[in-house]
Amino acid sequence: MTTDRPDDGSFEALFTAEYARVAGIANRVLMDQGEAEDVAQEVFVDFHRLHSASAQYAPAWLHRAAAHVALNRLRGSRRRQRREVAQATKESDRTVDPQNVFEVSEDRRHVRQALARMAPKPAAVLVLRASGLSYAEVAQALGVGIGQVGTLLRRAEAALRKEVTSGTSL
Amino acid sequence: MAHLSDGTLRRMVDEPDAHGGADARHLESCADCKARYSTVSGDARAISSLLTAPELKVDIASAFNRVRTAPAARPRLGFRLPVMRPGSRPVVLAFATAVAAIALLVTAIAQDSNTFTPQTLTPVPVTMADMQALSQLSAYGTISWTKQPAPQIATSADDATAASGLPVPKVAALPTGVSSTVTYAAMGKATAVFTFSKDKAAAAASQAGKTLPALPAGMDGAQLTVTVGPAVAEIYGNMSKPAAGSDITQANLPQLIVGETTAPVATSSQVTVVQFENYLLSQPGISPELTAAIKAIGDPSTTLPIPIPVQFATSSAVTIQGVQGLALGDNTGVGAGVIWIKNGVVYGVVGTIKRDDAVNVANQLT
Repeated sequence: MTTDRPDDGSFEALFTAEYARVAGIANRVLMDQGEAEDVAQEVFVDFHRLHSASAQYAPAWLHRAAAHVALNRLRGSRRRQRREVAQATKESDRTVDPQNVFEVSEDRRHVRQALARMAPKPAAVLVLRASGLSYAEVAQALGVGIGQVGTLLRRAEAALRKEVTSGTSL
Repeated sequence: MAHLSDGTLRRMVDEPDAHGGADARHLESCADCKARYSTVSGDARAISSLLTAPELKVDIASAFNRVRTAPAARPRLGFRLPVMRPGSRPVVLAFATAVAAIALLVTAIAQDSNTFTPQTLTPVPVTMADMQALSQLSAYGTISWTKQPAPQIATSADDATAASGLPVPKVAALPTGVSSTVTYAAMGKATAVFTFSKDKAAAAASQAGKTLPALPAGMDGAQLTVTVGPAVAEIYGNMSKPAAGSDITQANLPQLIVGETTAPVATSSQVTVVQFENYLLSQPGISPELTAAIKAIGDPSTTLPIPIPVQFATSSAVTIQGVQGLALGDNTGVGAGVIWIKNGVVYGVVGTIKRDDAVNVANQLT
């Protein structure tokens, strides 16, 4: 990565302000810290290469890119199932009620599979909102009006619920 | 008052204060909306629970250092060349390294004049094994950039010209289906130096269980310097507004790229033609076909070899603007391109278009 751009100071400030959130969005999708940070790095490097860090749209661009890149990885990765099995095992190790843990792990596995099958926009709205973005931030990231976010979210939740209901404890 | 919409109810679950008092009063008094609110909030809670993820503990300073030291020489410009769809970064990197290695090799062959300024080009078939073998070049020395490639997106054709010093080629007519949305990219000169290291080569050979052939005097520390660029490109496709609201997957898929770059110039020191050529071509994994193709180049001091991965594309000779060029791909529209050299400038037209369309665009370029 080139480091001699005039706005490198702004980039560092942007990175410091947004890294945890960008990695958090990816982690919400991938449930794997290493992969999530890998996505965050890719997103920041791409942003730095193409945009000015002082651009007003920078946080929104990063949030959206994090969601899309992570969802693309989820769709494309053949390692997904292995990761989920490992995750389920990890969680079951530290929880008291095995039956409950099994159900929770199964549900999360189903929900990630369902996310991977959903259209990009509904999947992104769910991930962004679940990552703690406000309605205004979700609207900026997806390029929609703030009044549309509730509708998009409701539809996406209904679609996701329908996808995962069968065979889960939801 | 009409019933509240699902979207309004959903937002009231998260941000109860975001809506006016009228909505809240309606909800209080309407059994139907209350029931729907209960369903909506139940779904929201359930989905929220399912979307919880393991806690993330990040070290921002370390992460920033990783990003700062990320490889600089990935002139990806946010897109991938459509004719190279291997879907695998190692393959792309191996291919890029193979391109550099072949350029260095031909430079070495052309060392009689000590400089290499190509006037024409020729296809050289490259197999996966060749790519892997040539990509190990760094095990035999160091490749460093004395001036790193710094591709950038320009806001206009004039800016691209200002950044590169090259006029932006003008496309007379776009093929059917190609978006007229255009993005400009530019890059200044970049210079790479390969320094051969006897110690590294010996270590690499030893690791592979082989003994390094006796090296001629002067090989250790021999340098090859390759200058590429400046370059300028027009990228057609729906990727020019990478701001909020744009789709990043679209940004990654240009439909047509028209580029031009000053032909690479290379100089060398210390090495002799035969020694360097024999050395590189004797690496394990280099196919006899590649060796034969390299050796068959008529006048290596003026011919730029274009590596064609045999699995990905076919090539044929075409005449573009009165000079001989090379066409890649076919007429399926999956991916095709043409490349030619005129007056010391390398031109390329590549995209998810038909081969005939690429030839037409190339011939009408001004």
